[in-house]
Amino acid sequence: MKWIMDQKMFLPCVLLISLLFVNSPVMAFEDDEGCLLCHKYPKMGRITEDGARRSYYVMPHVFGNTVHRNVPCTDCHTYIKQLPHREVKQGVTCNTECHSIKNPATGKNFSHKPIYEKYKQSSHFRPKLASGHDQDKPYCVTCHRNPVYNPEEVGPPKQITDRCVICHEDEEFVKDWYKHTSRRINEVKRESGEIILLCSSCHGDKRLVERHLAAAKKEGRQLGRKYEHAVESYEDSFHGKVTKYGFTRAANCLDCHAETTNYFLNVHLLRPSRDKLSPVHTSKRVETCQRCHVYADENYAKLDPHPSKKLSDNPFAYYADMVYGWVGDVVFVLLIALAAFETVGRKRDGVGWRLFHGSSWWGRSKRGRDRID
Amino acid sequence: MKLSEEARNILETSMRINNTSDVERREIEDVISRMPDDRVLLYKNVVSNPIGDLPRYNIHIRIQHMLTFVTFLVLAFTGLPIAFFEHFWAVPLNSVLGGVEVTRVIHRTVAATMIFAMVYHIATITLGTLIRVKQKHFEILRSMIPTMKDARDFKADMLYFAGRNMQRPEMDKFMYKQKLHYFAAAFGNFVMIVSGSSFIFPEFWASILPAGIASHFQEMMRLSHPHEALLALLVIAFWHWYNVHLAPGRFPMQWTFLTGKITREHQIEEHFMEYLRCLVELPEERAYLLDLLAARELDQSDKNKEGVGAS
Repeated sequence: MKWIMDQKMFLPCVLLISLLFVNSPVMAFEDDEGCLLCHKYPKMGRITEDGARRSYYVMPHVFGNTVHRNVPCTDCHTYIKQLPHREVKQGVTCNTECHSIKNPATGKNFSHKPIYEKYKQSSHFRPKLASGHDQDKPYCVTCHRNPVYNPEEVGPPKQITDRCVICHEDEEFVKDWYKHTSRRINEVKRESGEIILLCSSCHGDKRLVERHLAAAKKEGRQLGRKYEHAVESYEDSFHGKVTKYGFTRAANCLDCHAETTNYFLNVHLLRPSRDKLSPVHTSKRVETCQRCHVYADENYAKLDPHPSKKLSDNPFAYYADMVYGWVGDVVFVLLIALAAFETVGRKRDGVGWRLFHGSSWWGRSKRGRDRID
Repeated sequence: MKLSEEARNILETSMRINNTSDVERREIEDVISRMPDDRVLLYKNVVSNPIGDLPRYNIHIRIQHMLTFVTFLVLAFTGLPIAFFEHFWAVPLNSVLGGVEVTRVIHRTVAATMIFAMVYHIATITLGTLIRVKQKHFEILRSMIPTMKDARDFKADMLYFAGRNMQRPEMDKFMYKQKLHYFAAAFGNFVMIVSGSSFIFPEFWASILPAGIASHFQEMMRLSHPHEALLALLVIAFWHWYNVHLAPGRFPMQWTFLTGKITREHQIEEHFMEYLRCLVELPEERAYLLDLLAARELDQSDKNKEGVGAS
């Protein structure tokens, strides 16, 4: 081992060994723009004026496995014209065209614009930099993150790629397109539980709901009758109960509130039930119910899918529930009282609790007529 | 024992129905005359087999009870955790059988079994009643049909429990408590079936009901199903199980639901009218009673003679 201790060899050996243990970030995507010069540092971030912590760290090995890995940074961060860049005022908006990615079907620049246009018409719409109560509304990134490919899909099956490379020649190209396609096939829709959790994160937030109720009242705006109880009443419904326990065929929020002509587009166009565009508008309810309940008719469409026992929402259910509660309490008290009364009354005559034997009347009666031994 | 008018009528009816011979009539009248007037002395001194002494329920009723008993517990076990899903105890109960996907199938299958038990019961009692009516054997007082006597029995029983009456009333095969329980269970069964069907077939109920009622009906059913289930569980746990398990004299268990037989002391105490019928129908019971009265020196005719001699 003397050669290691040799001064000339020591440094190269340490470097070599360190390299073996370093979890070096593999440049999984091309950083031609040099953004990682700064954004590769984990502690890159700041505390904003209103106290929020913002991290600007980009993990190359993670980003390299996301659906946006082939999009150059400046395709979305269009305002970056020089390095180091100037202060960012607005950030990325999701309707920006990606100049580097062409839609193979149309040859146009790729863009989320069709979805963004639908979103603009929905009651959830807000600009990227919103003010006032609009800040509570969801922007694209509230629901959508930059999705990571399923690790299991990183390596496509050899029997598939072997076939593809015969014509497409480039193995990397084949792998990329395989992942692009397979992810969309495997994750066609979000699971019901995930959708409910997502919607509940705002509609189940009491403080947010109260803020909007107060604002609507002040501005004379109309909100839906169920706005206040949307999540609670869904959870109390048959749909909500079974979905909570993992049943996947009961309706979730989007199954009723989104048009199904193109589900993936129309989930971005959610309108209040009083709007004719909404599938739960009275004129469309039968059709919407029939998506699952094929025999649904006009009467069926009038059933309350968000049942609640709140006095402000449903006085009938509120009072019926109250009466049922009273009946239960009275019956409980009466039964206990009757059983106790009977026990005391019969024990007066000498009856007792006996595990075995042919009579229970071995006790002494207070009325002087005991069992004859 | 000097029989009350009601007891005498039942005895006469029973002897008529059973075509009792004159010899047997004399035997029966003799046994009754020897019974002590204080019925309490009678049921305190008889020997009772805890498994049961006297016939009470036929095999059909026992099968129906067993079906209802098992299905009720399974339905409660699988249904309540779905209805009260937000409670801490509901989560493990829902999970233990494999989740709602499994329990909802079990719940509905067992519900169908319970409905079968109900149909079986209705068929049994309807056919049984029709046969008895045809043979002119039907006795309304021996049936579950409520009568004014039940109200009188209730009042008299309360006075006995309060220490104001010396004896419990002479009650029939089904006393006021059992009739109340039976009709409460029948009503509960009906509500559970209708409300349960409104969950499985909501489209059907909506289509047959007027538009103004359909929604309220569905809401009422949503409330009724769990509330009625809870009410039924309360009645079973705090009343039925008290009456058949915990009440002194019935502890630790009445075997009637398995053997179809009731203990002698229970029959005389709470169903004296039915005991009179047993005396008519079962010669061996008359023989047992005569032996008992002699052995325990309870023979009323001997005491009457002694009284006459002494005077």
